[in-house]
Amino acid sequence: MSVRAFDLVPAIERAQLISDKAKTEITCIECCGKNLYIGTGDCLIIHYIIEEKIGSNGKIHLVSEKQGYRHLALKKPVSQLKAASALNRILVLCDNMLVLLNMFDLEPILSGTRIKNVVSFCLNENPIKSNPFSIEICVSLKKKCLQIYKVTEDKMTLIRDVSTTDIPITMCIDGTFICTALPTQYYIINYVTGGVQDLFPYDSNHVRPIITRITREEFLLSAPGALGMFASASGTSQRPPLQWSENLVSVIYSHPYCLALNDEFITVHSILDQQQKQSIPFQGGQHLGEFDGKIFVASAQDIYALIPIPVEKQIQALLVDKRVKEALDLAQVATKTGIDKEKFLKMYQRIQLQAGFIEFSEMNFDEAQKLFRSGRLDVREMIAIYPHLLATSSRFVKCLPPLHDIADIVQLCRGEEDRIIEYKRFLISYLEEIHGTRHTLGAHMEIDTALVKLYAELKPDELPILVASDCACDVGDCIPYLEKHNRHHMLALLHSSHGDHDRALGIWTKLIKTEMEDESFPGVAFMVEYLTHINNSEMVWKYADFLLEKDQLLGVKIFIDRSSSPAQSEDELPSDQVVDYLSRYPVAVVKYLEHLVFECKSEVEKYHTHLSVLYLDSVIRLMKDTNTQKEELDKARSELCRMLQTSSHYRIQLILGKVTELELYPECAILYGKLEEHDKALGILVHKLRDFDAAENYCIVNAKDRDLNFRKRLFQVLLSIYLDPNNERRDSFVAPAVALLNNNKADFDMIKVLQVIPDHWSIGLLSRFLTSSVRKATNRYRMTHIQRMLARGENLQLKSEHIELLRDGLKMTDDKLCAVCGERFSEVTFVRYPNGIMTHTSCAPNKYICPVTGKLFSATQGTALPSVDHNHDAR
Amino acid sequence: MASVTGKRKADLKVVILGAANVGKTTYIHRYIEGKFQQKISTIGASFSLKQWGPYNIALWDTAGEERFTGLSSFYCRSAGAAILAYDLIDEDSFHSLRARFLPLLQAAEPNCLVVVIGMKQDLLTVDNRAVEQKEALMLAKEVNKRTLDKIPYYEASSVSGHNVENVFEYIFQTCLPQEAKNLDGLHVSDLTLEEKAQTGKSCSC
Ligand SMILES: Nc1nc2c(ncn2[C@@H]2O[C@H](COP(=O)(O)OP(=O)(O)OP(=O)(O)O)[C@@H](O)[C@H]2O)c(=O)[nH]1
Ligand SMILES: [Mg+2]
Repeated sequence: MSVRAFDLVPAIERAQLISDKAKTEITCIECCGKNLYIGTGDCLIIHYIIEEKIGSNGKIHLVSEKQGYRHLALKKPVSQLKAASALNRILVLCDNMLVLLNMFDLEPILSGTRIKNVVSFCLNENPIKSNPFSIEICVSLKKKCLQIYKVTEDKMTLIRDVSTTDIPITMCIDGTFICTALPTQYYIINYVTGGVQDLFPYDSNHVRPIITRITREEFLLSAPGALGMFASASGTSQRPPLQWSENLVSVIYSHPYCLALNDEFITVHSILDQQQKQSIPFQGGQHLGEFDGKIFVASAQDIYALIPIPVEKQIQALLVDKRVKEALDLAQVATKTGIDKEKFLKMYQRIQLQAGFIEFSEMNFDEAQKLFRSGRLDVREMIAIYPHLLATSSRFVKCLPPLHDIADIVQLCRGEEDRIIEYKRFLISYLEEIHGTRHTLGAHMEIDTALVKLYAELKPDELPILVASDCACDVGDCIPYLEKHNRHHMLALLHSSHGDHDRALGIWTKLIKTEMEDESFPGVAFMVEYLTHINNSEMVWKYADFLLEKDQLLGVKIFIDRSSSPAQSEDELPSDQVVDYLSRYPVAVVKYLEHLVFECKSEVEKYHTHLSVLYLDSVIRLMKDTNTQKEELDKARSELCRMLQTSSHYRIQLILGKVTELELYPECAILYGKLEEHDKALGILVHKLRDFDAAENYCIVNAKDRDLNFRKRLFQVLLSIYLDPNNERRDSFVAPAVALLNNNKADFDMIKVLQVIPDHWSIGLLSRFLTSSVRKATNRYRMTHIQRMLARGENLQLKSEHIELLRDGLKMTDDKLCAVCGERFSEVTFVRYPNGIMTHTSCAPNKYICPVTGKLFSATQGTALPSVDHNHDAR
Repeated sequence: MASVTGKRKADLKVVILGAANVGKTTYIHRYIEGKFQQKISTIGASFSLKQWGPYNIALWDTAGEERFTGLSSFYCRSAGAAILAYDLIDEDSFHSLRARFLPLLQAAEPNCLVVVIGMKQDLLTVDNRAVEQKEALMLAKEVNKRTLDKIPYYEASSVSGHNVENVFEYIFQTCLPQEAKNLDGLHVSDLTLEEKAQTGKSCSC
């Protein structure tokens, strides 16, 4: 697992150095801006200006120019160099002596104190008190102590002194924390509090102690077993160790990488996952330094630069290797390396999407989904990978440069059907999740189209909901898919939701005719329902015939239910037109007329007559047919009777003619009843049908809600029929006659009854009738009496109130004004309302409503009437 | 996972110690990933982060090899809980707990919970147990300074998953404040906040 994070580029080569002195050997390097300093074994400090140039091939190379050198008269190697650009100084450690030189001419600063017996020193890059005119350094001394100095242009001032148990070999400082290595143990020392925290032991015979600052209060230490241990100022570790190779000489940190140098290699580890990322062969490496982003590595003779490869390039390389996690981790740290936020976000999202497609191609759907979401995938990128799923009308063009190298799903799955289906299911779930959210980013049409197609194939149960909601799919594009998978019904629904009723209905017609098949289609009833609610009468006329031929009872519902559905305006399908239209369908037309007559309570004579005739026709037909069951005929006749009885809008004479012809006596009776020819009606009931109950009932029904005189007359008619002296069979009518007389609901004029009762009837036969009649009469007399008395009482009361009202006079004077217009009363008449308001007669438009207060005086309350006085000066 | 660790301070640090090859890494892996997997011998240490309710828990797996012993002590620093692991059928691994690993716990928190686990329980037969259960219990009792409801000793198997989940659950429940205790914790932190605010004021005057 490797990635190229750095390129090794020659900086200053042996030839350039040798030209100075044959045996020159590099012992330390330092860089500050464009200034590069080299310390040598023969006590030389050489100053170069070095610059990066981009060659014609796009590669970086370095150009250097020697500025000068200084020979320190110490005859020892220069062991450490550190430039302090703010001070124009360079700190030099040579022969255990720390001195200051001018950074440009390398002249020694004579006034500057020198520090003796120095083992090593380091710069505090994160001092607690920063001051542009001074720097803070930490020095380890042979006398077993660490010292903190403040260094200015011409002075080094001791600030702190921390004694240690042994000579500190090396150290690193951050804030007030000094991380140091004594010969057997690493420590962290807080030079302000003096607190000491031991870290871990090591053996300086086997391990060269190396300490590198990583971030605030975190250091990286070389440890036994070739480990790089992370240690924070609190004495713990927050990251697992790095695994290095043996014999390291130097380690630096360049976010997010740790570079370690030994005799043969420069190894690069990422602190993000602690893994080695790159290994650069480099023979005889001795010095490695990071100088504000610039990295130099040196052997005894040569100096090279390590040029960081741009993060984006590294990430792309990782993505090519499908190392998604590493790529994302690296991308995330890129924010910290100074790209501006917006640019970073764009880059990061793109990387997330690339990573998403890699996970996608490996069927890691959960990861892919997360990445797609956070990378704000234009979902069409994904849809486009699925053959034929992207709507042909889509104006989508793939992102350039491409986010992935997937040709299509089929190729990705090498045609394996199971895997293709899994991919499709993933797309379904992804689309379902973003459906209707803002993530659709103007891809509504493509999403719905893809969903329709996918559902058609894999999840037909979901189609109805999708199609019913305002589905934005490209219908034309979906048709072949839906047809291929026999989702004809859904296709019809889709047409319908896009307003194309004709095609929808056409498909259903075919489904009903079983020219096509789709078991999800509910059948004729569905289409009827659809036409019932459709707001387009043209469609109704076009398809109703087909449905009526299929099933009249169902078909007629289109017209019946339609009128009750609120969306339809009545005039759109006029009832007359419907009745005419339905005349070809006998069952349907009856249903429709029944609907008009019984449910809509239409009073149009035409419909009533038409329905009556149709009922009658059906009775006639049944009577003619010899095979007719009795029940059937009875039912038909009772229907007819019900019609004739309840309706009063049909043309009686028309029906009566036919009915008489056919000798349908009950019907005749009803019709005569309707014509108020009660003697004829009752005559039929008594003589033709000999149905006395029916006769009695006839009287009761017809007497209902009529005045007493009529009732008496009607019952008398029946009684007279029973007791007709010309009837030779009248004896057989005695019993019904008595029953009639005894019927509570009947009313008679007693005198008239007694006149027709045959003389030979016994008093016993009549006793019940007589008693009840007498009782009724007495009752009536008493009731009337009470009523009269009550009325009289009321009359007295009113009289008294009237007198009350007239008693008080009313004085009209000149200074009284009309309450409405405010003028004086000049005429003799005026108006006064019961509440005391007085106006001109012309100002009082309504005598029941007070024109000022609006109070209503009811006309029925005698007392409330306004009084009109004719005297200007009453009393 | 390790990349997130740099910043966030964990609420509890758990460290697992024990001789090489007793199955420490496999045990942690079994807990985090829920499955048994062959692991290479650990070098130095490794680290996993676990979310338990509102808490972040840092699980440090150390290397059992002798050459790393010095470093393991470093990884024990400020551990709130430690697992001492030995191989049920390897007597030496048990003795090394006292000899080599117990001293490392000096660096841990003062009342660090120490759980002793006999590993590879699935390999036990009637006659191959190398250490009397009594002895292991004694060790577990002895190393805990705090009072506990029961002696924290378990026999576990990363193959079967026996005593994996529940041991960690036990550790977290013992070491982390629960709902009820949580409230108390809040009060305390409120107080300290106020205190800080006040001192801050007096300083700026
Ligand atoms: N049968 C069985 N084998 C186990 C069990 N746990 C671990 N092993 C095996 O024991 C060996 C060592 O496991 P590791 O987890 O690497 O041991 P370790 O304690 O981490 O070792 P170091 O990292 O060297 O300290 C491996 O081969 C595992 O497969 C267990 O519960 N049962
Ligand atoms: Mg291990």
